[in-house]
Parts: sequence; structure tokens; C-alpha cells
Amino acid sequence: MKTISIDHLPRVEGNGGVFATIDGHVITEVKLVINEGPRLIERLTVGKTPEEDVSIAPRICAICSVSHKNAALRAMENALGVKVQPKITLLRELAHMGEFIESHSLHVYYLALPDYVGFPNAIAMASKFPFEVKIALEMKQFGNAIMKNLNGRMIHGENMVIGGFGSFPTREDLVWIKNRAIQFMPFVFRTVELFCGLDYPTVPESDTLYACCEPGNGQYGFWGEEIILSTGEKVARDDYKSLTNEFLVSHSYCKRSHYKGNPYSVGALARVNVLGERLQGESAKMYKKYFSPRWKKNPLFHNAAQALEILYCFEKVPELVDEILAIPENPPVVPYTTKTGKGTGLVEAPRGLLIHHYEVKDGLVSDVDIITPTAQNAEDIERYCYLAAQKLLDEGKEDAIRDRMDLVVRAFDPCISCSVHMAEVKRAPSDDWKKKLAELQPAGPAFIGIGKEGRSDDRAGLDLAAGMKEAGMENVYLETEIEEDHSLEGLAGRPLIFLDIVNMGEPAGKIAMLPLQHVFWNAVLSHRLLPAVSNRLTYDQIKNAYILGIQPESIEEGGRLSNSVRAAVEKILEEITN
Amino acid sequence: MPKDKLKIGIYELTGCAGDALLIVDCEEELVNIFTAASIEAFLMAKSDNRHGELDVALVEGSVSTEKEKEELLDIRKRARVVVAIGGCACVGGPQAAFLDKKEWEKNLKKVYGNIEFSHSRPLQSKPIDAYIKVDCYLPGCPIGKAQFLSTFARMVNGNPPELFRFPVCVECKWHENDCLLNKDILCLGPLTLAGCGSVCPNFNVPCFGCWGPTEEANRTSEYYLLREKGFDTEVIKNRMANYSGTRITEFFEQFRKEKR
Ligand code: SF4
Ligand code: SF4
Repeated sequence: MKTISIDHLPRVEGNGGVFATIDGHVITEVKLVINEGPRLIERLTVGKTPEEDVSIAPRICAICSVSHKNAALRAMENALGVKVQPKITLLRELAHMGEFIESHSLHVYYLALPDYVGFPNAIAMASKFPFEVKIALEMKQFGNAIMKNLNGRMIHGENMVIGGFGSFPTREDLVWIKNRAIQFMPFVFRTVELFCGLDYPTVPESDTLYACCEPGNGQYGFWGEEIILSTGEKVARDDYKSLTNEFLVSHSYCKRSHYKGNPYSVGALARVNVLGERLQGESAKMYKKYFSPRWKKNPLFHNAAQALEILYCFEKVPELVDEILAIPENPPVVPYTTKTGKGTGLVEAPRGLLIHHYEVKDGLVSDVDIITPTAQNAEDIERYCYLAAQKLLDEGKEDAIRDRMDLVVRAFDPCISCSVHMAEVKRAPSDDWKKKLAELQPAGPAFIGIGKEGRSDDRAGLDLAAGMKEAGMENVYLETEIEEDHSLEGLAGRPLIFLDIVNMGEPAGKIAMLPLQHVFWNAVLSHRLLPAVSNRLTYDQIKNAYILGIQPESIEEGGRLSNSVRAAVEKILEEITN
Repeated sequence: MPKDKLKIGIYELTGCAGDALLIVDCEEELVNIFTAASIEAFLMAKSDNRHGELDVALVEGSVSTEKEKEELLDIRKRARVVVAIGGCACVGGPQAAFLDKKEWEKNLKKVYGNIEFSHSRPLQSKPIDAYIKVDCYLPGCPIGKAQFLSTFARMVNGNPPELFRFPVCVECKWHENDCLLNKDILCLGPLTLAGCGSVCPNFNVPCFGCWGPTEEANRTSEYYLLREKGFDTEVIKNRMANYSGTRITEFFEQFRKEKR
């Protein structure tokens, strides 16, 4: 007998592991072990006031702290008969979006992607996907900024209270959130294309049951008053136990769930499988484009579903901001007088259905029940790992079992799935521009000179392009020609080389050939045209675009081309026209 | 890599992983952190972790299983300096609020029944200094970015950390907030260690005490201030217990002494 173990699953959860046991030709057991010690949070808040409870309960998980806060608030407000104003609900939803953006972008780019593109971690991946690694980080930061803005801190904020908000975000803050969300759109589309288009392995595939909140009114969304299953069955909020049926296993402190004796899955894939038809706008288009029946049985599509939800969130954020801004009055915190009652709160955390249930007696919490997504997914995680392991064993691919189980567990994004390999993301631009240029020559590159005259070194790109034209080269353009023409289509299939000055923090006159992805979106460029052009490029073009850059000495208005940059321009022209 | 770089390990025991997440969230500074020191182990952020000698071990979370206790003892053996990061490691966290063993056992049974756990025996949650010597405490639930970075920078340069000893109210005054106590809202600012920048009162919500109890001398008068406001000792004590872990007993012991 032999045990394959992935103890301390890297990049999933600091304290978990999956263990598969093989006996001859059979997988005899698969265990998902969560080594985290028991915290008994459910017992801790017994005897506390409702306010203290909604402060302590989210401490279950830092990564889902806003989801826990919203679940706790909804449950407590149901128990105490508190009805909040629409503006409060909208603001809470906005904070919730922040958490989804943070959590999903972290998961798809930093945890899942390295596996699919063959890198051990995101740092290593940055060599090939520097653009993705960088912008995904900005996206994650944006999610954090939303949470911090609305809830006080990015982790365990206390601004969302029973009955309302301690204080409200300013109009400027909200407008900033909206604009920033819109700016991310091109990258969001690429995210969907990337993850929905990945080649997901066919092992394991097997039908399962999916469950999520029913947002009501035929909408997609992250909370509701009922649970809906992929069979179409609905479970009322207060009957949640008939779905979850929690039980314990001896190898984990994390409880398990079964519905009618069968495991079920929750999370992004469950939501898209159950509610996908309800998506609107761009998300609906993408859903139609990529959804296939395989999504319903292959857990690896969790990553595709997460990418789709990132798009959903980015479409939703500006909408929510507009709705919030349309209500100028900030409603005061709703006081409550009820001292006894019970209530359940249902929300979708990034990882799936999250349920908080409270009973309050004479002003103090008397009973607590909290059901987390990972508890509900644990059975299916083990089942899919088992299916994968057995199938691979049958095919004589024992060596592949470990990695595949790793992939399955990671797809479910259990609990703390954090591992941001972003150290060393920054890389020095290479100095062998000549070699790269030579490599691109056979593909017939197009050159685009960018810059402005009368602004010292900023004219270098234009001078380069002019020099090339003079030497009789074809496919050389000035930025103004591209701008007027508005058709980059003619350039399709050719590598694009932008000629420009780039602030690389190097000595003036330094020349470098940078993949556009290294600098795309980042303000290293002296002016704004490049993002305007590059937003019109397809992803394939961006991957095949470069900047032949020169480090400027100055870009002062009215100045002349500096000697060091002039020398660099001449050097490049000599190289190219020879 | 120059060999004089400080070797640092970041470890997580039982908690919500918020402190590790906060370190991960110091996005901009992370690159510098990873360059200034050699990060030997950080499960949340990397997979190639080493388990050798360390200059500094940052430990998050309380000790809640037998296995964690062993892990912690091993960390202590390997590390020159051990820093407790976050409320769970410093004082035991919310999960250490069951002060007596009987009560804890009763509650464990209530949640988990009579099941015998096969992987690691549960222990009543305790702060890490219940088992090992701790050289420095970085409080907070989770720790604050500013405090973490300044402590880290001082350590890397061989200086002892400099943490606040006064209560949240001082930071709250720096922010020129209207005192919530004047509105008869129970704010734990007077009894809670500063360091968070008084975030909650800045947002017009009372402090829940998540930085743990302050040890500054004038807490007795601060405590009487709360009493004068009409908040009852039991209520204050209950609320202080949420984030004070095992320290709550000493804390109120001390009061009793100071009162005499
Ligand atoms: S009691 Fe609270 S609101 Fe008042 S000064 Fe102290 S921290 Fe600020
Ligand atoms: S104000 Fe109090 S509860 Fe809020 S973060 Fe600071 S210490 Fe924690």
C-alpha cells in the first residue's frame, strides 16, 4: 500500500493537505485534511451582544471577511427585525464586489494560472506573463481599496454595522471607484478570454449538484433569501439545514455537508451553472460564447467561472455607484428594540454559499451556526480527487496523480487560497535590443514613431521614424498617421515596434527593446498616446508588440534633443537601415 | 545573495490568516521586503520553503493542536528572535477567550461531539508565549501595515522594534475625532493598545479592542472614565474579553492591585 500525499498544499492553504492511498490498482482512500486547529468561533460569541458578534464572527477568515460581515449583518438584522434603507444595501453590495474582485483576481492569476502555463509559481510566471502578473496585482489592489473605503480596513473593517454604516464614502471616493473600474475593462475582457479559453483537462469529469443563493427577480447576484439548486429545487432561508446536513469526519476540524446523501458543490462554478442564463450585458455575451456542457461536470472550470464573475463585478461596480449617487441622503443607523429572535443570513462568498444563523435572547446571542463554503465543498473535493486519481491510475499515469489532485483542489479555491508570488515581479529591461530586433526582422515588423516636437528628447521617436522613411523603409508610420487612419488592421500579423522614449531609470541614451506588456498601462511613457493606441490592439497584437525605447535626458518643454539621445537615435538608424 | 541578509520565516498557526494576508497585501513594499531579507519560509506566498536556521521568525495564530505546539517548539529552536504577530499569537485571539479548561472542553464537545480526531489532538487555544519565549509582540487583529513595516524595517537594520504603549484614544485625539463616549457609545479606546491609527473611531464606530489591552500606566483612570460614563464593570470586562485572550485575567488583576 502506498500513500500519495500533498501535505502543506503550497499555494492553496497553509494548513491543508490531500492524501490518496493506492493499493494495487485501486485508490482506496482520498482525504482532504484541514490541519487548522478548532477555534470554536460559533461558541465564542454565545453570551455576547449582537454588535460584538458581528465584530468577532468575520474573524473566521481574513480573506472572506466582508462576506462574513455581510452574512452576519443579514442574519442579525433578520433576527432583530431591522430593515435597512436601499442605499445601505447598495453600499454593502459594493463592498462585496470589492472582495470578489480581490479574491478572484488573486486566485485565477496567482494560484491557478501558473499550473496551466507550466510554471511553479507566479514569480516564475512573470518572466513570460509580466503584463498579466502586474495588472492582476493592480486589480487585486483595487478590490482592497473598495473594501477599505467602505468598511474601514481591507481586513476586518468595522464600518458596516447592524442597521447601517458608521460613516459614508464621499462622492469623490465613489466616482473614483467607478472610473477605476471602467479603466480595467480591457484587461477584464482579456481575463475572460484567457481563462475561458484555457485547455482544461478532461479528467476528472462527473456530474454533481450545484447550490447557490437565489438572488430573486431573475437576477445574477451574491445574496438572497433562498437557496437554489441546479435541479431547480429551492430551499428557504430558514430551512438551510435541509441542504447542508452538517456532519463530521475524524480527519478534519472542518465540518462536511451532504444533500440527500450526496455531495454538492458551491462557488463560482455553481453560480454560473445555476444562474448563468441570467447574466446581462457583456457578461451574457461572454457566457454565451464560452459556456459548454463540460462546465456542469468538470470542477476545473471553476477558474473560467471566476473570470466570468470578474467581468460581472466590473460591470456591476459602475452601476452600483450610479445607483448610490442617485440617493443623496445618508440614512442614519437604524436602531432596534427587539431583544429576542432568530435569523439566518445567506450570502455568496467568493468560494460559495455562506450561511450565518443566530438566535438572540434578552439582548444576548444564545445560539450560533455558521456554514462555510469549504465545509460544503470538502466532500466534492475528495470525490473529484478520487475520480481523477483512479482514472489516471487506470491509464497507467500514476506519476500524474499528484499534480492533478493539486489542480482539482486548487480549482475549488478552498479557504485560504493565498499565495501571491509577487516578489521579484520587476525585471530589468534587457540591453540586447539588437538581437531582438534581428529576430523580428523576418516577420516584417511595422514601426510607429511616437513623440512630440519641441519637447527636448520627446521628439526622438519621430526622428527615428523620419530617418527610416528617408532610408526608404516600408511600414513606417508616425503616430499622427495611425491616429488619423484609425485602422490598425492593415498591420495585422506584423510585429509592432513603437519607437519612443521610455523612462527606465537608466542613464540617458540607453536603448532597450521592451515587450509592450512590460510597460503597457504603466505611466513610464512620456505622454498618453500609447495607451490610446494599444487599447485598440487585440491581445494577439499586444503579445507581439514592442517598444524600442531610449532613456531620455529631459522632456522639458521648448528644449532640444540632447546629445546622448541623438547618439542613440543614430545608433538605431545605423543598425536598422543596414 | 549577500550572506549578511537576515533570514526570516513567516509561519501560520490557528487563526484567520489575516496577518499573513496583510503582509501579502503590502504589495508595493513586498518586493523590497523580499529583497531586504531572505524570506526562508512563507507558506501563503511561496512554495519553495526551507526549514533551517532563522534570524527572525514571525509567528501568526494561536497554538490549538498538538502538532502546532511541536511546530512552534521547532521554530523556537531554529530562530534567534521570535516575533508574535497578531492578536492570536500575542494573546491567544478570540479563540482563547474560554478561560477555563472545563468550559473549553464543554464547547469543543458541543461543536464536535465525541469524535476522536485522527490527525492531531486539539488543545485549548493559547498565545504562543504559553509554550515558548517571545522576543517581540506585534499586536492587532489583523496587524497594521504601518506598524508591521516599521517594525520590519527596524529589525532588518538591527534595531529593536518601537511599539506604542499608550491607548487608542491618543491616536484618536491626533485625528481630532469627536469622542464617542460623549455620545454615550461604549468605546474601548481608553483600554486598548494604540497602533491601528484609531481606524474605527475615525469611521465613527466604537473601538472593539482588537489591538488587545494597553499596559500604559493611566489605564486605571481611563477605566474609571468608562465607569463614570455609566458602563458597568461586567459589560466592560465582557467586551474587553473578546480580543484580550488569556491576558484579560492579568489585566483585571492588575486593576484590582492598582485600585488598592
Ligand atoms: S473613547 Fe473612543 S472615541 Fe473617545 S477618544 Fe477614545 S478612542 Fe476616541
Ligand atoms: S479602533 Fe479598536 S477595534 Fe478598531 S482597529 Fe483599532 S483597536 Fe481594533
